Amino acid sequence: MQRQVALIKQSLFDQGYLDEQFMELEELQDDVNPNFVEEVSALYFKDSARLINNIDQALERGSFDFNRLDSYMHQFKGSSTSIGASKVKTECTMFREYCRAGNAEGCLRTFQQLKKEHATLRKKLEHYFQLARQAGPKETARRPK
Amino acid sequence: MTVGALDQFPVGMRVLAVDDDQTCLRILQTLLHRCQYHVTTTNQAQTALELLRENKNKFDLVISDVDMPDMDGFKLLELVGLEMDLPVIMLSAHSDPKYVMKGVTHGACDYLLKPVRIEELKNIWQHVVRKGKLQKKKMKQISVSNGESSEYSDQNGVKANRKRKDQYEEEEEEEERGNENDDPTAQKKPRVVWTPELHKKFIGAVDLLGLEHAVPKKILDLMNVDKLTRENVASHLQKFRAALKKIQDDANQQANMALANSHYMRMGSLNGGFHHSIPYGSSQFHGGAATMRHYRSNGALGRRNSPAGMFQHTSSLPFSNNNGRNILQGLPISPLGELQTNNNNNNNNNNRSTGFPSFSSQQSSLMVAPNNHLVLDGNPQSSSPGFSPHFEMNTPLDEHWSNAVSSTNIPQSNVHSKPDNLEWNLLCDSASPLIDPNLDANPTSLYGNTGFGSTNAAQPDFFDLLEMKQQPVNNSGPVTDAQLLSSSHLKEGLLMGQQKQQSGFMASDAGSFDDIFNSMMTQEQSQTDFSGGDLGWLSTLGTCI
Repeated sequence: MQRQVALIKQSLFDQGYLDEQFMELEELQDDVNPNFVEEVSALYFKDSARLINNIDQALERGSFDFNRLDSYMHQFKGSSTSIGASKVKTECTMFREYCRAGNAEGCLRTFQQLKKEHATLRKKLEHYFQLARQAGPKETARRPK
Repeated sequence: MTVGALDQFPVGMRVLAVDDDQTCLRILQTLLHRCQYHVTTTNQAQTALELLRENKNKFDLVISDVDMPDMDGFKLLELVGLEMDLPVIMLSAHSDPKYVMKGVTHGACDYLLKPVRIEELKNIWQHVVRKGKLQKKKMKQISVSNGESSEYSDQNGVKANRKRKDQYEEEEEEEERGNENDDPTAQKKPRVVWTPELHKKFIGAVDLLGLEHAVPKKILDLMNVDKLTRENVASHLQKFRAALKKIQDDANQQANMALANSHYMRMGSLNGGFHHSIPYGSSQFHGGAATMRHYRSNGALGRRNSPAGMFQHTSSLPFSNNNGRNILQGLPISPLGELQTNNNNNNNNNNRSTGFPSFSSQQSSLMVAPNNHLVLDGNPQSSSPGFSPHFEMNTPLDEHWSNAVSSTNIPQSNVHSKPDNLEWNLLCDSASPLIDPNLDANPTSLYGNTGFGSTNAAQPDFFDLLEMKQQPVNNSGPVTDAQLLSSSHLKEGLLMGQQKQQSGFMASDAGSFDDIFNSMMTQEQSQTDFSGGDLGWLSTLGTCI
């Protein structure tokens, strides 16, 4: 089981969904924070969902306030970076580029992409965490509680 | 990680983390916990400010995100720096150098990029230590400077002190602001110190604006001193006004030397420069000091006429020292009040006709404290006009003064006759009125001997107030001090006188003063060394001697 979990995680990294930052987070997980990574992920998805919503609304309005969009995206990028959501981060960067260029079309397109990546990551992570929980204590050696 | 078991710090260092992004905040919190810091988090800048204001000593360090909806991170950074003087680290996903620069200019200790790594957080405690050291240094400087004034007693020392003082002043001015806020390491924050330099600028600004129109904001702008706040200026102005008022009140009462005073005042302003050197030493002169300080600057600012000129006017003034003693009588220097007693004695001792001797003693009450009857008598008793008595002249001046004081028997009447002294003081003191009122009373004391010679040493307190560590030395001590205190004008006058004592100081300054001083000098030659070193103005006097 644990091996399976490890494999899944590895694939996430390989596929570029996650980066080193995620590993850093895992480092932080310990007895005091046994589910740290999962908690943080949950927080992230909650936050980012809210942000995505805001951006969606802004885009739907069609007003294309690039400054505001850029600002949202900056936030999004910040949290994505913190959690190590690599692909999402990339999309964020692209989105901001389009914003700066004032390219509404580009923004819309990128945003769609971003949402997709975001959703995918979420699913994968959720799956991963589920398995990890089932597999028992983290694979990293820890003193049994 | 963590520092090692040896040193508890930075373990337990209290950090306040601010970030509107919950994910980042959570991560940051965990990271900080991992570093064994004590963490408080909030996702609102406003809340963070409230937490900080509620108890300044509750946190050692603040980490804040740059982009926050309720308040700009840089703004928070500024406020924290100003109000609490805590080290602040900025955090952002922006790696743009512009932001980093902005962080630096707003006073951030460090700027970290997201995602934050634990290695970076492990070292943030250095900022707390650094800030603490800086505070300590400032505090030390302040206390050192304060302590220095009492050590002025020889020329060398004086010079050294002066230099040190200048350095200190510089630092003080720079650090002033920094000292305003709480030190995270729980050090007492040093108050803004009004050094003579600073005071000079203040006076300059007030002069330009005119006392009636001198408002803190304008004064602050004119002064153009870094890190000085409007509040500092306001409180200083308040003190200054109070001192002036006091002097005026005193002067009004006495009204003797009114005229003389005006003369003196001019002289005083001329001597302005002297003030510098006059060690304010005695705190007693507070009031006087304030005025004197003011005057000092005036003197410095505008040495309108040569002191000699000033004196000329007052030639009629007792400065001629014939009376020596009574000169001080006229000095209404109320601030000197305290010194009065001392001064009187001193004055008496001095015998110096020049009011100075009395000044010195008078310092505290140049304004002719009743006690002092006039030191001007020049009773040689005290040999050193140095007021010591009041001023904390630690030095021998005290002895002098006491002698002087005791010897001042100059009866009040004498005092009157000796407008010189008083006048002189008055002159020194911008508050001419000073002279008058006090003249009657203890004119002698006013003048000062306080300032001269002895005062130098004694002045420490006063100067401390002003941060004048110049104490040139006891020599001119009393007078200088006294003078300073009584009023800027007075100071000048005193200084001059003191100089004379030393060696004929007043030479350049005032013709009439010269006389006074000379007389004083002779009497008080013992006074000393007016090392003049510190007494800036003394030097200008050209060492009357």
